[in-house]
Amino acid sequence: MRDVAVIGAGMIPFGRRDEDTLMDMLSFASLKAMDDAGLGDKSVDAVYVGNMGAGMLQRQSAIASSLADRLNLLPAAADTVENGPASGGSAVKNGLLAVASGYYDYVLVVGGEKMREVTGWRATDFVATMTHPQAEYPYGITLPGMAGMFTRLYMEKYGVTREHLLAVSLKNQEMGALNPFAHVEMALDRDGIFDSPHAIVNNPVSADPLHLYDLCPVSDGAAAIVICPLDMAKKLSKPPVLIAGFGQATDTHTLQERDDPTDLKAVTLATQQAFERAKLKPSDISVAELHDAFTILEIAESEHVGFFKKGEGGKAAAAGKTRFGGQIPINVSGGLKARGHPVGATGVAQIVDITFQLRHELPKNRQVKNAQTGLTVNFGGFGNNVLAFVLKRVEQ
Amino acid sequence: MKKEIAITAFKCKKCGRIHYPYHDRCLGCKHREFDKIKPEGNAKLLTYTVIFNLPWGFDQRFLVIGVAEFENHVKAMGQIKADSVDQLKVGMTVIPSWEPVRVQYGEDVYGLKFEPVE
Amino acid sequence: MPVDMELEAVLRPMQYPMPPYPPKVIVLANGKKMVIRQAVREDVPAILKSVHPCLFIERDYYDIVSARLYGELLAWYRYRVKSEYCLMGQVDGYLVGIVNGRLENEKVGMSYHTLAIDRGLRIGSHLFAAKMEYHMDYMGQDEVLIVAESPIGFRRWMVEYPLEETKIPHELGGGDSWRLTREIYLKAKPRLVVGDRPVPQELMDEAMLEIKFADDDTIRERIAGLKGR
Repeated sequence: MRDVAVIGAGMIPFGRRDEDTLMDMLSFASLKAMDDAGLGDKSVDAVYVGNMGAGMLQRQSAIASSLADRLNLLPAAADTVENGPASGGSAVKNGLLAVASGYYDYVLVVGGEKMREVTGWRATDFVATMTHPQAEYPYGITLPGMAGMFTRLYMEKYGVTREHLLAVSLKNQEMGALNPFAHVEMALDRDGIFDSPHAIVNNPVSADPLHLYDLCPVSDGAAAIVICPLDMAKKLSKPPVLIAGFGQATDTHTLQERDDPTDLKAVTLATQQAFERAKLKPSDISVAELHDAFTILEIAESEHVGFFKKGEGGKAAAAGKTRFGGQIPINVSGGLKARGHPVGATGVAQIVDITFQLRHELPKNRQVKNAQTGLTVNFGGFGNNVLAFVLKRVEQ
Repeated sequence: MKKEIAITAFKCKKCGRIHYPYHDRCLGCKHREFDKIKPEGNAKLLTYTVIFNLPWGFDQRFLVIGVAEFENHVKAMGQIKADSVDQLKVGMTVIPSWEPVRVQYGEDVYGLKFEPVE
Repeated sequence: MPVDMELEAVLRPMQYPMPPYPPKVIVLANGKKMVIRQAVREDVPAILKSVHPCLFIERDYYDIVSARLYGELLAWYRYRVKSEYCLMGQVDGYLVGIVNGRLENEKVGMSYHTLAIDRGLRIGSHLFAAKMEYHMDYMGQDEVLIVAESPIGFRRWMVEYPLEETKIPHELGGGDSWRLTREIYLKAKPRLVVGDRPVPQELMDEAMLEIKFADDDTIRERIAGLKGR
């Protein structure tokens, strides 16, 4: 197997992009990554597109072929990868394996989603289609609803409080306000969403015990990377970022069939695999992008990946340990919470953000000092399909 | 007339693990043969939530949903007959019934409902 | 333009007396304080400057809502509508949202429009709630007739309160009215109507001094959220 590096990264601002089609967004992000890699007019051998809902939301299929045509990557191999909200991560994995195996040299991986094409009702229904079609979906369950039930159990078992969730929400929105690619560029105020009696309208219950600002927004957006063998990457001007390890694991479709529904086994297993491959451990990580579609997930994942012991993640967040400048900065980009969560884009966007960090090219107020290693966790379904990547800066 | 709860769960013939929904191989021992069983008795509420911002197809303001475990250990999701979560507690007894849970294409879709017991 | 004042007087509709809406202040999710206060007729030209750029935003039916609101406020300014009122939200003096309505008679209110100029802060929810508060708590009405012209409005009013469906035509001429009764209002009030009174003097002074309005591009960006590629 060959070592594989990210040599180009790019994304477009997430948000509500009425004027762009899904193909526009995929195309813009791809060009940014290709230009960042300095590919010029050269093509890539293959393209993998992570996307969950084009068939349902845009009534468009085979989008990878369409993108290859639009960008004139012809005759590159092209595949669309659908794996729910982990589609982006799965697309990266496919690209990684293709290059590592020696089959392709240059691969473009792009993830994108246009969710605001439809109303909130339809978008909620679209996301809910990943629940079990007989045992869950007919009841009107939503992903925030799954997260609400998970949060109740996590609170009871580990003593997570609303204060802990609030700390994550405030932190990620504060960082999102500094990120020009973020969907919600607005810092929140503790009084406005929690302490004041007016918070009952500003931050109402969304899926008890979770409130509106515990949830990520519904976003449009796309992100892309170009990868190649590390040997070839070393000749380029920008420092390559090594994909030092990756892991992926699945778990039961329904939460109730897990022996302990608060145990996100797939997160633990995927991360362990990624760390083993990378020959690193959690304490070696400089910066992490964890899948905080709901604030509880950032807390639970920070424990499951090994940054904190079970039951300590919430307290660590409240104590500022996961802030920019803290012990382990988590979601410096603003995370899904503020950057947004165009489902198919997220897994790629996380890698793009870590690449920027490891190349030390972010502004001072977001650049983790001397960042050498990064971790991403892309969480599909409700933890039934999870990917983790460990990335490493390579000095030239 | 009270309808029968139209859920079938599956008990592994080898290790006895109970599954709902269906799997082709046991989640415990990968065995492929199961006895069909019906959920029995009342149920114990394992977790719950009240969801606002409902998906397409639901016109009401909110839905109370939870997962409960029947007396014979079948676990399933259902809608809870409650106006708020204030009256609910993890571990409380709920009485199951089989009732319309949504309307699709003009037809009632039946599913589990749980009524909390004081 | 010469005006036949006699005819003008005939064309002016009668006005029901309306008690003033006491201003209140709400802390928003970003910590900013929004003052909600009642506009006077003389404020209309300044308000219209903020409505104007919204006429050209198709997203979420802003164009139709602001075109109608523009006409309604102009009709109030030129004495062509019966018993209209307008409440507005201001943050740092800037106009961030407008709601209006009128009295059909002493017991029945007619809700017109809700226009949030800043998005993502529940300004529309707060202002609509203030409008219902005015009809119910301060004007003592029995019911308010409401229609939604956007799916967001439908979700915020019809589903969230929730309002009662009727077959009564609404004067905006679209779908039939939905009704807020006193009973529905009182049930929804604890979770939807907030605000502190009295408004601290300095905040009130800032709001009263001038109705500031952002430039057209800023307003369009706030609403349409269009960002560069």
